[in-house]
Order: sequence, then C-alpha cells, then structure tokens
Amino acid sequence: MSGSLLSFFTDPVLRAPTIGSILMCITSSMVGVIVLLRKRSLIGESLSHASYPGIVLGVIIGSIFFSPYSSYFSLSVLFFAGLSSLIGLFLIEGLEKRLRVRDDAALCFILSLFFGVGILLASRIQTTHALWYRQVQSFLYGQTATMLDMHVYIYLALFIITLLAILYFRKELQIVLFDRNFGKSIGLSVKKVELVTTILTVMAVVIGLRCVGVVMMAGMLIAPALSARFLTKRLSSLFWVAAIVGALSGFLGNVFSLHLPTLFSLGHVALPTGPMILLSASSFCFAALLFSPEKGLLKRICRAYRFRRNCQMDNFLKYLWKEGGRVVASTPFLSSSCHIIGSSRFSLMHRLKRKGLILIWEGSICLTEKGRQKAERIVRLHRLWELYLVQLGCSKDKVHASAEEMEHVLTPEIEAQLMRMLDNPEFDPHNQPIPKTL
Amino acid sequence: MFAVINPYRDADFFDFFSVLAQRFFQGITGQIRFQDLASDEVQILSLLCLCIASAPLGFFLVYRKMTMMANALCHTILLGMVVAFLITRPSVSMTISSGAILSPYTLMIASLITAIITTFLIQLLVQKARVQEDASIGIVFTTLFALGVVLVTLYTKNLHLASEAIMGNIDALDKDDLVLVGGVALFSSLSFTVFFRGFRLSTFDPLFSSAVGWPISFLSYMLMAFTAATSIAAFRAVGVLLVLTFFVAPSLMARLITFRLRPMLLLSFVLPGVISTIAIALSRHLLTVYNAPVSTSGLVVSLFGLCYLILVLFSPYRGAVTLYIKKKMALSKQ
Repeated sequence: MSGSLLSFFTDPVLRAPTIGSILMCITSSMVGVIVLLRKRSLIGESLSHASYPGIVLGVIIGSIFFSPYSSYFSLSVLFFAGLSSLIGLFLIEGLEKRLRVRDDAALCFILSLFFGVGILLASRIQTTHALWYRQVQSFLYGQTATMLDMHVYIYLALFIITLLAILYFRKELQIVLFDRNFGKSIGLSVKKVELVTTILTVMAVVIGLRCVGVVMMAGMLIAPALSARFLTKRLSSLFWVAAIVGALSGFLGNVFSLHLPTLFSLGHVALPTGPMILLSASSFCFAALLFSPEKGLLKRICRAYRFRRNCQMDNFLKYLWKEGGRVVASTPFLSSSCHIIGSSRFSLMHRLKRKGLILIWEGSICLTEKGRQKAERIVRLHRLWELYLVQLGCSKDKVHASAEEMEHVLTPEIEAQLMRMLDNPEFDPHNQPIPKTL
Repeated sequence: MFAVINPYRDADFFDFFSVLAQRFFQGITGQIRFQDLASDEVQILSLLCLCIASAPLGFFLVYRKMTMMANALCHTILLGMVVAFLITRPSVSMTISSGAILSPYTLMIASLITAIITTFLIQLLVQKARVQEDASIGIVFTTLFALGVVLVTLYTKNLHLASEAIMGNIDALDKDDLVLVGGVALFSSLSFTVFFRGFRLSTFDPLFSSAVGWPISFLSYMLMAFTAATSIAAFRAVGVLLVLTFFVAPSLMARLITFRLRPMLLLSFVLPGVISTIAIALSRHLLTVYNAPVSTSGLVVSLFGLCYLILVLFSPYRGAVTLYIKKKMALSKQ
C-alpha cells in the first residue's frame, strides 16, 4: 500500500489530480480560516451554489471555442464561475443593505435562486449535448480524475496568488479579524481589507469547485479551519494547521475515492472526490474536537469529572472534621448522614487514603493531620465567603448555597484578599468560629 | 401511469390556459375523474400543494432566522432517504428510479429521523463543543450529505439518486406522489392554523410568549419537522434544494408589497401558486414551440427570481422605479 501511495505523486495519470487537489484544498483551507474568524462561514455555501450557472455557461462557451481538455477550457469555467459567484455576492450585499433582508434569508435566497437558474441552463443541454452535461455534473460533486498536468499549473498560480495576498495583508487581516474598531480608530481602511477577504473567498470557492464540488464546498472552507481552531490560537498557526489539514484531506480524499470501490469489490466505479475529501477533513475536525489539548471534548469531560471528584472529597473531609475527626465506618451511617452513595464510597475512601488525608483504623475513619488541615481550609473558605456575602448585603440564610460552591474554587490569593477586606474576622454570620491558618 | 394522450401536448402558452380552464370546469362538473388527470395537471397540483405547505412555514423560518438550518436539513435529507432505501429495499435492483420504490410513510419517517439527528448534532456542537453556530451548521450538513453521496455511489454505482434528489424529476411525478404532497400540505395548514398564535407570538416576542406559556422548543421542533416533511414531499417535484426557494422567496416578495401580517401571508400563498402555474405553462410552451425540454423546477425558481426583480423595481410602495416616478412627479408639480 505504501508503494502505491507514492505512486499517487509519480504516476502520470494520478499525479495531476493528486497534486491539483492538494493545491486546491490548501487554498480553500487558508481562506477558510479568514471566513471562520469573520463568522461568515455560510457565505461559502451561497457562493458555491451561486457559481453553478457560471459553471454551466463556462462549460458551454469553453466547449464551443476550445477543446475540452485544454487549459483554456478550465480557465473559461473558472472565469464564468467566478463571475457568477461575484454577481451572487453583489446581490447578497444588495439585498442585505438596500432591501433590509436578513442575512441568512438573503444567503438562502440567492443560493437556491442561482442554483435553480443553473439547473435550468444545465437541463437545456442535458439532452442535446450529453458530454457537456456530464462535465457540468462532475462539478457538482467534484471529480479530478480527468485533470492533466497543465491544469495543475493554473491551480498552482492561483494558490501562489492567494498565498501572496494573505502574506501581504497579514497585519491588516490580523487587526480587522480580531478588533475591527481598533482598525478603524488607527485609520486602517477596514473596507478595503474586507473587500480583499471577500475576493479571496470567491477565489477560494471557485478554485475548489473542481475537486470538492458545488454542494460540499462550504464544508471544505469550514472543516480544516475548525480543526485548526481547536488546536491553536495564534493566527499564523491557524493558517499553517488549516493548510496541513487541507493538504492531507485532499490527498486522502483522492486515495480513498480511487481505492474505496475496490475495497467494496465494486470494480471500476467513479466515486466522486468531493465527498471523500470532505469526509477526510471532517474526520480531522472530529478528531481535533475530541483530542485537542486545550478545548477538546475529552479533555473537558475529564476535567469536569475530576473537579466533581475533588468536590466530593472536600465535602467528605468537611463532614469528618465537623464530626470531630473520627467516624464509625459503617455503610448505613455514612450514606444517611453525608449523602455518599454506595458505589462511590469505596473509591472515595480509597482516594482519600492514598492521598494521606484519612486513616481507616479499627472500623472507624479518622482524619490525619494533613486531612485536618485541608478540611479546616475548606471550612475557612466557606465561612469567609459567607461573611463576605453578608457584608455585601445578602441575607444570612441565603449565603450557604453559594458558599458550598465557592469553597472548592477560591484560590489562596482571593483568600488573602478576603482576609484583608474583612479585617481578619473571628466568626462567620452564623456565629461559628473561622478556623485560623497556620 | 397516464393512459390517455396528454391533452396539453402541442399546446403553447395560451392554449395551455384554455385547455386548463376547460378541464377545470369539466372536473368540477364531474366529467373528468381523478384518475384522468394529465401529467401537467398533476405537476400543477403538486406545486400548488407545495406552495400551500411552504408559505407559512417559510414565513416563520425567515423571521426566526432559521433558514440556514432549513438549508442544512434539506441537504441531510438525502442521507435519510438513502439509509431508508438501503434498510427497506436492499435487494431491489438499483437502476430504476427511486420514487417508485419508497413508500410515502417510509419517506416521512426517514425525513423526521434525519431532522432530529441533524438538529441534535448541530446543537451538540454549539453547546458542548462551543463551536460557532454557522460553522457547526456548515460542517454537520456537508458531512452528512457527503456520507449520503458516498453511500449512494457505493450501492447504486451511480449518482442518479442523488442528482434526482437535488434537482427533482418532475416529469416522473405520479398521482401517488400527489397524495404525499397533498397530505403534507393539508397537515401543515391544519397545524399552522391551530398553532398560529403561538408561532406568531414566539417569533416576534419570544420572552413574552414563554412567559405566557407557549412551549417554545416544541414549536421550534415542529417547524423543523415540517421543513423536513415538506422537503421530502417535494423531492420529486422540485428536488430538495429548490424547496428553499419556496420557503424563502414568498416572504421576501410579500415583504416588498406590504408590511402587515395577514396580507403578507395571503400573498405568500397566492403569488407562488400563480408563478408555479405560469412556469408549468411556460415549460410546456418551450417544449412545444421550441422543442426544448427544460427542467421545470429550474424554471419555477428562475421565475421566482424574475418576479422578485419585478417587485423590487415596480412594487407599489417600495419599488425603485415607482419611488423614482413619484419623486419625479413631486418635483414636476412644484
């Protein structure tokens, strides 16, 4: 398999689609970062559907004047698709600004309208020029199998243009994306930068149409950028990670679209590349979502679980301390008096014992010195917080619930501040003594 | 399917309407039975039912800013259809067209399950993973749609099912499909009549309506369910994507003419119906006179766009041209 993977880059039939897809996907991914940060991810959806009539026109005009495999044909399709997208974009802006249509309704309207016009045009050639129709359909779901080396040069040029544009405008992009008002205040022409990003979006959508297809283009703008967003925060890293994810998806998509039918022993079925590329990108996104070191879902679940466990331990230590540091270790007593359910009891005791906070000796549970200190700290924080809230103006009977939550999260710095503010108090609002620190 | 010769054959645009009027009166007086409906008439009726079903739905989708969710649903419904297809008829030969195989009930259940799954996934991403809403909608629906396309290609070896779902295949509309669309239209009009006050209130003043006691999430889910149901009922007629025009365009067009709610709703029933009929007549005209078969669904959507353009220019209160003329007249009076 590894030998055949390398052949994707060397085999004269396979290398153009592979390299071309990679270039197209890198371009879309990088622009996707900009689109994601501007919170206008769905404009890619509208623009790609809006380009469909342009694709049909481009195929018709290109087929009339040029041969279907020449680069002029591709250029014609790209040009008309871009034109159609731009017109769609212009209309969307017009609808939003002049006619005060809501943004999502404008997007949906132009999306379906242009797509319908495209379908109308395509249906006209469906019966008369079947070959042209098939070429149009290949842009619907993406099909790179017929790409030749000369097409790769076109996409390489477009990729370089996009890359240069992003590099040239990177400072302005940074300002406009993250703090628009600051940009305006320092005299930056925000409108010009936003115009540049709009043109880049149209370019990215149109470039990617051949490999991902009209219907799934929106996902290709979003998925790599979203994966990057889960993994990093800095703008330059976002671009890098999105580009890498895009390139990998482009490559893997091509590999799968070629090999998957044989896996299912279906012989020579033309699996469109668009869905496979998108599924690869989405898998990366899903993986980033789960396993991201900071924001990942698994991390968050683990953190929440650990926090709840710590709260349970603190509550038990508090209870032990209030009982005088020693309690009989019998099940019904424990579950009734401190609400510890049976199954977690063992793991709780085990954990506390392992941390050296309690001792189990002759059928009773005792607090160690370390445990006693920890328990006293919790109680201290609880009572300090209650005093603080009462001083702010809450009534005495309502502060307990809040203190129950805050006692687990107050840091030593806040504790010191509270002590200063409340002037080293001795008693809490319920006239219970506040334990001293050592 | 249709035993008799189509009476609309070789009819151009104006003949179409005269034949239609004739057959309408014959139908009323009982000379033509339901089984004798010509294919063009079935198309007209399906589109009219679709207009009825989507007018109030589209209105509330637009004003609740849920159109992109509806867009997502329309895409993921393909996956629902494919899975339903694979579950219920895995052994049937895959080369024939889809609609003849799946029963309306299967389609409805598939669409509702898909709607639930899509909404659930999007909400999961937004709430648990803290993804921005537009990105989560975009990624969920494109992924599910890609899955659908892959399944279709692997199991049917071509993309006809997917293309048909996207573009519709209105010439293959049968009277049984009419039952599906008609049923959805009927059920949705009943529901919207019953829950109208709740929808209206929760759209324009959600806090107050929840305070008064209308169940907000139930109403939202109902909207989503109807979106899915209408979309799948329309997949034969116009395809799942072009249904979006039926959702969004009527409200936008009515908004250009009036500001008040009831006239807006009335217009959003009437205007699309008129446009659909004209579109079918035009399609027949193009076929007869120019021998050019075109996609009726594309034609309907294009006519919606044309009508919107006309309204933008010539609408009595807000049209650009009318305002210009009024300004000129006001200036010339001075």
